[in-house]
Amino acid sequence: MTEQQPILEISHLKKDFGAHQVLRDISFAVHSGDVISVIGSSGSGKSTLLRCINYLEEPTAGQILYRGRNAETLNRAEYHSKVGMVFQSFNLFANMTVLANCTAGQKLVLRRGAKEAEDKALYFLGKVGMDAYRNARPAQLSGGQKQRVAIARALAMDPDVLLFDEPTSALDPEMVGEVLGVMRSLAEGGLTMLVVTHEMGFARDVSSRVIFMDQGVIAEDGDPRDIFTAPKQPRTREFLSRVLQGGKTE
Amino acid sequence: MPTTFWGWVSLLIEKYGPLFLNGTLYTMLIAISGTVIGFVIGLLVAIVRTIPVSPKDPVAKKAGLKLASFLLNVYIEVFRGTPMIVQAMVIYYGAMMYLGLRMPALGAAIFIISINTGAYMAEIVRGGIISVDKGQKEAAHAIGMTHWQSMLHVVLPQAVRNIMPSIGNEFVVNIKDSSVLNVISVSELFFIGKSAAGTYARYFESFFIIAAIYFVLTFTVTRILRLIERKMDGGRNYTICGSQSDSEATITIHPEGEVPND
Repeated sequence: MTEQQPILEISHLKKDFGAHQVLRDISFAVHSGDVISVIGSSGSGKSTLLRCINYLEEPTAGQILYRGRNAETLNRAEYHSKVGMVFQSFNLFANMTVLANCTAGQKLVLRRGAKEAEDKALYFLGKVGMDAYRNARPAQLSGGQKQRVAIARALAMDPDVLLFDEPTSALDPEMVGEVLGVMRSLAEGGLTMLVVTHEMGFARDVSSRVIFMDQGVIAEDGDPRDIFTAPKQPRTREFLSRVLQGGKTE
Repeated sequence: MPTTFWGWVSLLIEKYGPLFLNGTLYTMLIAISGTVIGFVIGLLVAIVRTIPVSPKDPVAKKAGLKLASFLLNVYIEVFRGTPMIVQAMVIYYGAMMYLGLRMPALGAAIFIISINTGAYMAEIVRGGIISVDKGQKEAAHAIGMTHWQSMLHVVLPQAVRNIMPSIGNEFVVNIKDSSVLNVISVSELFFIGKSAAGTYARYFESFFIIAAIYFVLTFTVTRILRLIERKMDGGRNYTICGSQSDSEATITIHPEGEVPND
């Protein structure tokens, strides 16, 4: 049996900001159903990696294959709708209601009709427990609620893979749980996810694979049990002992 | 002939009332058209100047945008850097003497005030676009919207709301500054005031009336704009739909300090 084709295949990705090399030769693949946590210290290039995968930053070199096809040659709008993104600072559209936030992309990018877009939006708002707030505006919601709406907005585009860029880092501690809870149920529902996170509990318990990044390269990549109990690299060990002591275990 | 101030005022109103009214209409027509057309010009200029350029774009696109941006900068600098009264003389008499174009005074006035306002509006709109949090634009791109879609549906609605006070300011300035267009003999308020004053040589009384009319105009306009801004903000109340027992139930939330039925 041949191995299933990955959704994303990143090879030799590099990103420089001027003379500063943020990503130095990153290669890995994301398969359907993977829940990959990307961990590492600040400045290790985790967020830049996600932003390059979604072309919010143009990679300096390297290639991204989406289902075997070069993402550069694909229609950007189509690629973006298949590779969704959830941001640290939510980035809800402040001029739209919760419902309109979740239908705008469907109508404008996927050309769905109003009824279909609304049904879909309400289905996913229900999944994240925010359907009751469909008429509220972002300014009227708490941080955790905003992030749940942002997740529903991304899901309504029917993405193949969802990128999460530190989704709980901007939240008050008591709201982290509600967002992680939603992400956990999405992972259990089979959504393919690539999550940059500082929540070691999530990385250890929910993800199927953990990537540890250090100074712009993947230092270690493997099963969460192996990485958290028996890290191979000294720098992984050092990082984990630092953050786990800090109590960031969810 | 009257001997008191109020006597003169009432005589002037009696004789020139319809003309004052006409001048008021002209002033408002010039100010409203100038602000609206100027806003459209400003919007277009700001949109062109914020088109993103990626290093991978073709050379022709990059060069074209660079040239457009340069010309628009020249436009903004020239029209912000010279008085409108001078622009009026140069454009009106320049067109007449060198293009053989005799512009109707009202049309010329609206044209001049529009391009003058456009130069200011371009900077105001640019400020408004910058004021919208960059993250929302990224989020729009991340769900596949194009530059134009994200501008039209996400950035500009918020930018326009944010610059409403400045747009209102331009409108009020236009009501007052349209008075300088009397140099091209358009019969706006100041021009009417001058003619009325000249007949009896009663400058103080005549311009007292004109000043009162200007003030009523600007004061009313300011209040109306404030109302429009509040309308644009929408209600602060919102409804939570459905409950565990009744999916049709709704609860309306009134943010603290807000009176229900607001």
